[in-house]
Amino acid sequence: MIPDEFRLTESGRETLFNLLSKGALGCLLLYALFPIYWMILSSFRTRAEITAAEPSVLPFTLDEAADAIQDPSVLLTLLEYENYLTMWDRFPVFDYFVNSLIIASVTTVFALAVGCLGGYAFSRYRFPGKIGVGGALLGTQMIPGILILLPMFLLFVWIQETLAIPLIDTYHGIIFVYTTFTVPVAIWMLRGFFDSIPNAIEEAARVDGCSRFQALVRVVLPMAAPGIAATGMFVFLTAFNEVLFASVLARGDVTPFAIGIQSFETQTTAYWGEMMAASTVATAPILILFILFQKPIVEGLTEGSVKQ
Amino acid sequence: MTRTSSRVRSSVAEIEIGRYLPLYNRLSDEQQYAYKLLLPGLLMMLLIHFIPIVWGVLISVLGVDSGYVSQWYEAPFVWAENYRFVLDPRTVVGERFWYSLRQTVIFSVGTLLLTYVLGLTAALLLNQRFKGRFAARTLLLLPWVAPSVVTLLIWRMMLQQQSGIINSLLLSLGVISEPIYWLIGDNTIWTLVLVHSWTQFPLVMIMLYAGLQSIPEQLYEAASIDGAGRWEQFRYITFPQLKPVSAVVVLLMMLWTMINFTSPYILLGAQPPQSGQVSILYIYNFAFSNYQFGRGAAMSVVLFAIAMAMAMLYYKYLFDQDFTEGDR
Repeated sequence: MIPDEFRLTESGRETLFNLLSKGALGCLLLYALFPIYWMILSSFRTRAEITAAEPSVLPFTLDEAADAIQDPSVLLTLLEYENYLTMWDRFPVFDYFVNSLIIASVTTVFALAVGCLGGYAFSRYRFPGKIGVGGALLGTQMIPGILILLPMFLLFVWIQETLAIPLIDTYHGIIFVYTTFTVPVAIWMLRGFFDSIPNAIEEAARVDGCSRFQALVRVVLPMAAPGIAATGMFVFLTAFNEVLFASVLARGDVTPFAIGIQSFETQTTAYWGEMMAASTVATAPILILFILFQKPIVEGLTEGSVKQ
Repeated sequence: MTRTSSRVRSSVAEIEIGRYLPLYNRLSDEQQYAYKLLLPGLLMMLLIHFIPIVWGVLISVLGVDSGYVSQWYEAPFVWAENYRFVLDPRTVVGERFWYSLRQTVIFSVGTLLLTYVLGLTAALLLNQRFKGRFAARTLLLLPWVAPSVVTLLIWRMMLQQQSGIINSLLLSLGVISEPIYWLIGDNTIWTLVLVHSWTQFPLVMIMLYAGLQSIPEQLYEAASIDGAGRWEQFRYITFPQLKPVSAVVVLLMMLWTMINFTSPYILLGAQPPQSGQVSILYIYNFAFSNYQFGRGAAMSVVLFAIAMAMAMLYYKYLFDQDFTEGDR
């Protein structure tokens, strides 16, 4: 028998529910963020610390933390930033970064150019075959990449040998492939952003003497800038993360980060510290950009799924 | 001479437009403009999606192996021999391919269930009013935003049997008594599900969250006047109202997981164990280690057909459901 004063009142139940949901949210946040925390932490650790039998979950011991509170300059001596210095010599990380940047940014520019035109056509015009084309755009997202990779590899080899146009292990080859893969998504996302810009804007521009194309470039595109930026970030990330085509069509001098980073783990040794340092360098700008510009990105992603 | 040739050329152009693009001429000016805007995108899709798929189907009936990599067109025509070979469970390849299809089903259904539970929980928690809600949403999205090549390698490091933090934590909490082999052996597929779900649940969360936001407030007000508790409100309002979004989530997660290459490829490293070889990874390793492009293409076509069939059945199922509900 529970005494009355311990029985939960309405507001007590409310408090308990709040506590429980706060706890659940805390667990989820821990689950979501721990690997990222672990990456940063490991990047500041020596090999011995990383492979220790019982690695510490905290960056410092309590004594070290107490010292650091008294004298913050101790922090600098505690950080092992060795990995950030050795990784450049041990692996061609710099080349990987440059290659990834070239491939992903050129892809982004092309995909946005093509995607803006297509997305605008989808948003503003009715034309026969619109449903078919839209279905084909979405359909491309369901094709297993391997089905395209095998014939494309043969095609690229054939073109290289008969027409003497190098395509495998070149920037233009992989950029062309990536642009095509990201264009359907770019069209789809940009269409949503163009939909939210009222038609009256272009009509006004047309009255002022703009041609149809000028109205698009000078009036509509600047207004859609946040959406274009969000789409651009999505395309950039897709190109940055791609490994299936890159592992076959972009080796050698054009090896991107996504492929190169795997070489930090060799048959005999795994250079986890260096790998995590390089990963932190790659991830930090992306996370910061996302945190700054997340609103249009999140809207662009969810729009299509909810609106239908 | 020049005159005739130019006349010939211009008439050729006329014939071409008249004969091959009669539909285009019939379009209104505005519709033609729309197609002009779409032209670059459509051309690229034709080149990199449509033609390779047709080509891939073509190669799947040719005996393209290591001897024909640069002269695929000289490979012998073998009818359905490639399909028969890769689908015959008595051969090693056929047996492994069937096994990889099974693993693919585990991978996609497992990921779907786990991401849906995690995503729905997160979305419901975020849908309450509290301080720091926006920050929490941002932080929960990070697993999906961080480059997956990087996060998969972090998980690979954390799941090492000897030095990994996961085994170390589980041991010190007393959950397990022996370190677990996460990345080799028969249970690898479940590790793959766990890790892939971590990278994908924020997407499910944000889609369901958007769905929650669009449920009209009045429904809840009316329900609470009728005395419905939290559970009843979820059971009779939230969950049914989320049905359209959930339908999209289910389809996307199933299909995208089925054709995902990055997660198994990066997480399982250079020597993926058999258990973790989902179809796309198995086809990739098979095709490129032996240059068996004909048989590889045949397996790819099978995988594509399964994905398409699943999508269509699912659409049909959704359509039937909508139909009966509209009847009621």
